[in-house]
Amino acid sequence: MKFGQVFKEALRNEGFPPEWISSAISYSQLKKCINRLTAELAQVGLDPVTLEKLLRHVEDYNKSAEASTADEEFRPFEYILSDGERGEGGKKKVFRPKLLFYVEEATGALHSAKLDKETREKLQMLAVETGMSDLRVYEEEESDGKGGAADGKESNGHANGNGARSHSPSLCAIEVPLTSDTEFFTKLTTQLSSLEALQLKEEKRMHTEIEDLGRQIARFTDPDRKANKKLLAVWRQIFQLYLEEAVFFGTTERDHSAHGAEKATTRFNEFCVKIKETGLVGKIKKREQMEALETFMHINKEILQGLRFGEINHTAMSKILKKFDKRTALSIKPHLPPTLTYPQFSQHLAKAVCAEVNTQILSHVPQIDDYSCPMCMDIKWRPVKLGCGHTFCIRCLIVMQTRKQNRCPLCREKCVEKANSDNLDLELADFLKKWFPEEVRQKQKYNELMAGVDAYGEVYKEKCAVM
Amino acid sequence: MAALPKRIVKETERLSKEPVPGISAVPHDDNLRYFDVTIDGPSQSPYEGGLFRLELFLPDDYPMTPPKVRFLTKIYHPNIDRLGRICLDVLKSNWSPALQIRTILLSIQALLGAPNPDDPLANDVAQAWKEDQSKAIETAKQWTAQHAARPTA
Repeated sequence: MKFGQVFKEALRNEGFPPEWISSAISYSQLKKCINRLTAELAQVGLDPVTLEKLLRHVEDYNKSAEASTADEEFRPFEYILSDGERGEGGKKKVFRPKLLFYVEEATGALHSAKLDKETREKLQMLAVETGMSDLRVYEEEESDGKGGAADGKESNGHANGNGARSHSPSLCAIEVPLTSDTEFFTKLTTQLSSLEALQLKEEKRMHTEIEDLGRQIARFTDPDRKANKKLLAVWRQIFQLYLEEAVFFGTTERDHSAHGAEKATTRFNEFCVKIKETGLVGKIKKREQMEALETFMHINKEILQGLRFGEINHTAMSKILKKFDKRTALSIKPHLPPTLTYPQFSQHLAKAVCAEVNTQILSHVPQIDDYSCPMCMDIKWRPVKLGCGHTFCIRCLIVMQTRKQNRCPLCREKCVEKANSDNLDLELADFLKKWFPEEVRQKQKYNELMAGVDAYGEVYKEKCAVM
Repeated sequence: MAALPKRIVKETERLSKEPVPGISAVPHDDNLRYFDVTIDGPSQSPYEGGLFRLELFLPDDYPMTPPKVRFLTKIYHPNIDRLGRICLDVLKSNWSPALQIRTILLSIQALLGAPNPDDPLANDVAQAWKEDQSKAIETAKQWTAQHAARPTA
């Protein structure tokens, strides 16, 4: 299937909001522009084959003349996409692509060009039409097949002809008037800016949505409210699974980049399956909370859709530019000005929104992994902060002290033996007790057991089991 | 045997769920403190293309004491002796209880990429390394091809 069709169908069938669809890259219209441009170029004899031939000839010429012409690059023609002028007030760049041919002012020879007769004649016609006088066309027989179509043009009247060119001063430029290309690029820039505007708008909208949900979740999981007791653990598990699935960004050594729409969708679906399978969804009974979970899912789906939308538009854009080059041989791709680079719609939006989800929603429910002791990997209960600022659970530090291991496991500062009850981090202890009551209880029990073992030896364990 | 500490359970879980690229560590069914390890020779080292087998054992007082690690595959390296013992600071004096199996194995992989003949364990290899480095590297490559060849799938 042709890409135009694929694109159209993707836009139609993947449930994008109508506003998005109207902002999408209009691939088919741009394609028509290219067709018109090709026709225009053909009229002046510059079909892609000719242009390409010209280019290649110049490349060869440059290669053989490398030594003498040092860093000066000769091109018989040049296609300038942006002239760097800014529109009034600098608000928007005026877009006026130009196809320029360089002719030597003195001789009127088209610079090292190798055009067939027909093209030459047409170019000549063109020069006449555009009001240039004193036009000569002649063949230069002696040198390496350097036949030249020539437009002699004395006046530098065209505002764009001179100036700015760092070519040798004896050259002057002639512009081939084209209209469809201006149309093409104007259309494309307009569309890009409307895509950007859409992105900003969407980002703002989702920002409020996420903030609202964040406030809701904060209320549902507030550990000070008795009614929340059970559900705090449920929400925590849901978010833990969500984090582990790493839907939009990988966090492991193997996978540490942003995910594309396809991968993110797979990951997200896996997350959906998991929270169903583990029965977490079923545990949320209150209607209000159920709705919050649905909103959370909805926000994720929107991010996915944004990713996908960005991706297909990006593809559409690079395809259309490729087509432009293929049909016209004007090789614009390497010279695209910044105004024409694709806005990082998908990635940017996804990144921004994910960060929001993390700070606004997930952060309301602390995860145990962020509060585990680097030694036993269990909850840091009771937390002891060493002189160096690193915190561990009391049990591990007692073990270290008995073994006379004095260096902090994280920074190697000699501060373990110095630690005493003053080093207990009471604030953190309160926090842990509040948010992880069950985990704290278990660890407390374990710590007590191990203290008993320290005092009375291994038998203490067995005794304890009987009790 | 006493129950496996939470830490070892967690480390094992993470090793299988998010493996380190180029490294695998799988515990034995009958002894969960004993791991079969493989490390890919780092690229642009004489060990490139080789697959090195190691054994790793977590002593009772792990993580207060470091894991015991030994190469099973023969390797020509100034800091690894004929018995496969490894001379690496973090396995000895510079061990910290916050280090883990994965970080240690990464250090060993890095050691393959950066042999240090000034702190030798295999004296003969270190000597050879210092006298004629390119020849030593050649030998290391040969050993890799001979002893650390990947099983053909």
